[in-house]
Amino acid sequence: MTAPLLEMKNISKRYGNIIALTDITTYVNSGEVTCILGDNGAGKSSLIKILAGAHQQSEGRLFVEGEEVMFDSPRDALERGIATVYQDLAVVPLMSVWRNFFLGSEPTKSFGPIRWIDTEAASRIAKEEMAKMGIDIRDTEQAVGTLSGGERQSVAIARAAYFGAKVLILDEPTSALGVRQSGVVLRYIIEAKHRGLGVIFITHNPNHAWPVGDRFLILNRGRSMGDFKKDEITRDELIMMMAGGAELEELTKELESASAGDEKLADMAEEFAEELEELEERAEHPD
Amino acid sequence: MSATESPPLENAALEEAAYGDERLAYRGPLLRLLTRPEIGALLGAAVIWVYFWLVSDVFGQAAGAANYLDVAATLGIMAVAVSLLMIGGEFDLSAGAMTGATGMLVILLVIPPGEFGGAGLSLWVAIPLTLAFALGVGWFNGTVVEKTGLLSFIVTLSTFFILIGAKLGFAKLFTAKVIVEGLDEGSGYDFWVKIFGAKWTRNDHIFDGRDTLFGFLMVIGFAAVFFGMLELSHTRRERFNATGLIVAAAGIAGALYGVWGLRHGFGFVVGASTDTVGSNWLYAAALALGVIVAAVGIGVWRFERVSDRGSFSLSGTSLRNIAIALGVILFGSFVAITLDSSSEDIVGFMLTVQGLRAIVFGFGAIVGVTLPVLVARKEGKRSPITKFVVMTGTSLVIVGLAFLIQSEATSRKFRAEVFAVLLLIALIFFVAGLMPLLFQGREAAHPAADRLGKMLAALGIGLFLGAVTIRLLYMTSEEAAATQAVFNYRISILWFIVFAVAASLVLMRTKFGNWTFAVGGNKKAAREVGVPAARTKTILFMTVSVAAFLVGMLLAFRLNSVQANVGNGQEFLYIIAAVVGGNLLSGGYGSAAGGALGALIMAMSFQGIPFAGWNSDWRFLFVGVILLLAVLVNNFVRKKAEEAE
Repeated sequence: MTAPLLEMKNISKRYGNIIALTDITTYVNSGEVTCILGDNGAGKSSLIKILAGAHQQSEGRLFVEGEEVMFDSPRDALERGIATVYQDLAVVPLMSVWRNFFLGSEPTKSFGPIRWIDTEAASRIAKEEMAKMGIDIRDTEQAVGTLSGGERQSVAIARAAYFGAKVLILDEPTSALGVRQSGVVLRYIIEAKHRGLGVIFITHNPNHAWPVGDRFLILNRGRSMGDFKKDEITRDELIMMMAGGAELEELTKELESASAGDEKLADMAEEFAEELEELEERAEHPD
Repeated sequence: MSATESPPLENAALEEAAYGDERLAYRGPLLRLLTRPEIGALLGAAVIWVYFWLVSDVFGQAAGAANYLDVAATLGIMAVAVSLLMIGGEFDLSAGAMTGATGMLVILLVIPPGEFGGAGLSLWVAIPLTLAFALGVGWFNGTVVEKTGLLSFIVTLSTFFILIGAKLGFAKLFTAKVIVEGLDEGSGYDFWVKIFGAKWTRNDHIFDGRDTLFGFLMVIGFAAVFFGMLELSHTRRERFNATGLIVAAAGIAGALYGVWGLRHGFGFVVGASTDTVGSNWLYAAALALGVIVAAVGIGVWRFERVSDRGSFSLSGTSLRNIAIALGVILFGSFVAITLDSSSEDIVGFMLTVQGLRAIVFGFGAIVGVTLPVLVARKEGKRSPITKFVVMTGTSLVIVGLAFLIQSEATSRKFRAEVFAVLLLIALIFFVAGLMPLLFQGREAAHPAADRLGKMLAALGIGLFLGAVTIRLLYMTSEEAAATQAVFNYRISILWFIVFAVAASLVLMRTKFGNWTFAVGGNKKAAREVGVPAARTKTILFMTVSVAAFLVGMLLAFRLNSVQANVGNGQEFLYIIAAVVGGNLLSGGYGSAAGGALGALIMAMSFQGIPFAGWNSDWRFLFVGVILLLAVLVNNFVRKKAEEAE
């Protein structure tokens, strides 16, 4: 078997006397999604910063395609094909989709002494790349600020993928989104995986992680609670491990309150409620 | 795939959400044009021009244009640069003082050393040195703002004070006066005065074929815009129908015959004889009929037949709006007929009877025509037949207004020119209502048709501009013989146009332009994706000071002297022009063309007020009102644009 795309072995991180991470080991393969789950303060952001090259680990080793690396800066990580999409996305809301897509790396053509942006190519490529992510941007002149949260996320993801990322690190891409929009983002994650990228999906929501993940690393207070393949763990165990199903309960409530007048949402809320009951039952009477 | 096990993801709603939003309506190039930042300023400039053209005799003529373009040029060069900087998220309060400072510096460098004296340099050295000084000040502003993270407002405010202090101090120190003079003593003056001080004297440029060429370009331009608009708003047929081409050709021939007849007979627009009124009607009818036949012919040739004409119906609000429109028109017309058109009696606060009459009638006419057009737009989406009926009705109302104006107005301008323009508008409205009744409107992008349509529209607008330019630049020998007044266009107007076009291209089409939007819109995000934010902003500050250098040279070569207070306080006018032009004060949105149009609006208001016979003490009141209106309109347009997404 070939070496994983990105592998971390026994990573620890200390900030002065604060121990942020202890002994974290996991990996992501090409065409797979590794989910890193944990509640607030579990050490997710420290881990992202190490992977993105913003911070350096205190102990442990990082491998990219089997080769040991040490990232000194985010640029180092980018050059190795590791792109991080932070929560704030690094998009400019008032600028159009294609301008955002190519910001900082505009394609140019020379005409006379000046290098002009090749607007037609930029617009076309942005449209194509977004289409590969399964989203139809009809008008790439549309301002990014007018897109929905999920679509905005997709611009950032598609941009990272287009500019040569092999590993995508997504920092809580669904946390600020509603149920529908979260579904949109989860679909992009699957699309990215089908295109052969390795995805590290950081979330505190096991319901979002389960459908897309191939591997799950659960963090709690800087320690790994386990690193499982999909067939080594069930959805219910995952949820129980995370937060005892509290998340699902919340989601159900949210759906119920949002579902007034919308049949599809109401159906979903019902489905969720049933599932929650089932889960609670099973937790009380384990087989 | 493992994801299939997950109930939440399998929900049909989520599947649907993932694949595009079908609720997104098609927005054609025309509608998208309306979301450009400078569109409000373009409309504003048109309204102000029309307004002063109506109330003043000179404003609409070449003499008026020379006057306001001259003011617009120096203001506009700065407004364009300040717009770029504002899009980049910063202000430069030292920009005004810089124009005077560079003008003064170049003179001090040139005048011979003496008791007080200057440096006695050649202009070949002095001008590059001044440019270097300007670049240095811009670099200083930008670097201090970037390194300290202080607000550019504060940093450039101190540069502003430093500059005005230095200007006054050095002027007194070297020349013992508050004015430095003697630029023409420098060597190389003969060359540089051509670059910064040249003039175009209209009286020296006689071109008797001017009006023929003007008319020719206008007709071709009109045809191009007309065809372009049709192409942009209709669905193409699978295969073109040659029969339509023949019909269109016949229509065009008829229209040209009409134009030719009007030009060489009486002519609404040019000439003044009234003895062949009867044949004029014949030519006008030929023109109108020709345009309609040509439009239908083009439609038969290229566009699909309409599939569903709908049935005539008007909603409650639409009916109410039409009723209001008819009410205000009738009221306005009643006032226009009953009040005395020449009475100078004061009815109230500074308002004469004839002024009141014009205001009530003008307001009634504008509201009375706008409301039905909005109704037609709204109802027309469902039912082309309703649109046709409403638009035809509106066009008849405009014809009625035209005849009312012709019989009631006192000046020839209203009786002939406004009359002709209104009839033309009525014709366009009629065609705009007729075409959707016959041919299918477009609901999807069509790259080839869009490209052709845009190209034709741009060509037409280019021809209009060319026609107007020729008219402004040349005199006929008849005019030259009749006039004593000599007037010039200064080269600053050319610099203004070149600078505005270059800035627009850089902003819209280069990496640097893209980065300008980005650093103003979200600096952190721009940095994260690798935009050199600090360098971008510093270059923007330097652009402003280079513009100030250019304006400084134009000012210096105009009078060969510069007063110490030149330019002080102008920086606010630049910022106002940029905002009037649709640039967002907080950065990230706007256009260079907007800044140029904003400057044009302000120059037209400044110069139009004395032309209209008012005391120019009122002009700042006017500027304040325009600024407020512009901000309100921009706000409204932007909200509308975002809703339309």
